[in-house]
Amino acid sequence: MARHLLRWTVALLPVAVAAGLWTAIRGGLVADRRLAVEATALRSDWLLAAGCLVSLLGGLAVVLVGVRDARWRRRLDEQTTAGALDRRLLLSRLDHELKNPLTAMRAALANVSATATGSDQDAGLRSIEAQVLRLSRLTADLRKIADVESSEVDRRPVDVTALLEEAMEIVREQPAAAERALSLDLPRAPWPLPQLRGDWELLSLALLNLVDNALKYTAPGDRIEVRARETAGSVVVEVADTGPGIPPEDLPHIWEELYRSTRARGVAGSGLGLALVRAVVEQHGGTVAAESRVGRGTVVRVQLPSGVAGEA
Amino acid sequence: MVAVPTILLVDDEPAITENLAPLLRRAGFEVVVAQSGDEALRRVRAIPPDLVVLDVLLPGMDGRAVLRQLREERRQVPIILLTQVGESGERAMALEEGADDYLNKPFDPHELVARIRAVLRRRPTTGASLATAQRLRSGDVVLDRASQRVFRNGSEVLLTPRATVLLAYFMTHPDEVMTRERLLEEVWGWAFPAGTRSVDTRVAELRRALEENSGSPELITTVPGVGYRFTARVESA
Repeated sequence: MARHLLRWTVALLPVAVAAGLWTAIRGGLVADRRLAVEATALRSDWLLAAGCLVSLLGGLAVVLVGVRDARWRRRLDEQTTAGALDRRLLLSRLDHELKNPLTAMRAALANVSATATGSDQDAGLRSIEAQVLRLSRLTADLRKIADVESSEVDRRPVDVTALLEEAMEIVREQPAAAERALSLDLPRAPWPLPQLRGDWELLSLALLNLVDNALKYTAPGDRIEVRARETAGSVVVEVADTGPGIPPEDLPHIWEELYRSTRARGVAGSGLGLALVRAVVEQHGGTVAAESRVGRGTVVRVQLPSGVAGEA
Repeated sequence: MVAVPTILLVDDEPAITENLAPLLRRAGFEVVVAQSGDEALRRVRAIPPDLVVLDVLLPGMDGRAVLRQLREERRQVPIILLTQVGESGERAMALEEGADDYLNKPFDPHELVARIRAVLRRRPTTGASLATAQRLRSGDVVLDRASQRVFRNGSEVLLTPRATVLLAYFMTHPDEVMTRERLLEEVWGWAFPAGTRSVDTRVAELRRALEENSGSPELITTVPGVGYRFTARVESA
């Protein structure tokens, strides 16, 4: 408080001194004729001064708004990260709480299956078993995402060209691949893609997941293009398809754990694939993005920083 | 000589013990249940069991502390850990601290039975537990588990970290047929589409580095249509 007062006093001191002097001169207390000159000015000079004042005030207002905006934005960022942390915590607790019941259920199922005889019962048991297995897989996937997010990834040289070629080979083995036009486009000239530094298996998993997704969400006859390019200091991999596309309201959420668009209900999957892709790419210092038009298709873009030359 | 092996099953969740105990009994084991770490220690000292199935998360003294305590008492009873926290470090830690095997919850109960049988089978022939040995030797190949280094004929062999972990898993489970899926689950920690290829790649790396003639391997042999098996004899060195 006292500091505030001092600051204003210092700031206003020249004004106060000038006002005091002016009063003194007008009152004839200082009997120097040179000082008794009338302060005169043209009307345009007064207008100019007023204009200056307005500009000054305007500038001040802009600076104030800017500072306030930055503060607000920072607060929003903090809230978003806190929200993401909360979500992750919730997911890991959920995963944890599911493990014991699932273990017990699998043991109980094994016991019941060993004694069951009726075929009706068998069908019911098989279906319970299938669903329990599905839940088990879900917990495994959740665990994997948490694992990727919390641990340091390997930093070994990874040949993206070989990685993508292998991924395409694996994808082509699936029956759905034969009904779609799959193509891989990699630069060879003047030089191939640079090496990345990272974990081969995780990167392979992420890219396979993307191509696999494209395969899952397209119909026979659709086209899927996988292409990679080198840009300043990084490699950009794109997986593009001519599938049904993702509505704009869903697009920002596709990278979230367990998010399933209403349009994706008919497709098998846990809704964890893209969350895992994002986790892997971000752990490698990269970014993910997607563009889509309903009825036209989707392109998912992964940008990964390339390894520093000579370090390998 | 005990005709029916006694298994001490330690888990604080009654739903698990109530269902696993009859399953293990049907598989031909005698089962004793303990609900906490302290109870587990008391039972091990009193019975003693032929094998302990030990949950990591227990009230009070947790599974890892029980494992450490038992190993400090120089008890060689085989232990299969049931892990929960899914961090990859967990697996390495479990084996380093002297567990013979571990399973991630939720697991296939038949897999637990298979692991129990495998650990019990492995035990008498190898004398001291391979799981607790710092150095493992098979022929001219030596694996130092603490430093994660591999030597052949006395000179160090450079392997990728994953291949080293894979070799450690093979060497602590000699003569067991390993499906690619199991190796993935155990060494990589999870299954993924390109996984089985990754296993083949790492096995090929191990063969190139360690076999006399990688065309006709003598350490890690292929079991057609199933997976791999570490065929050579392993001893603690």
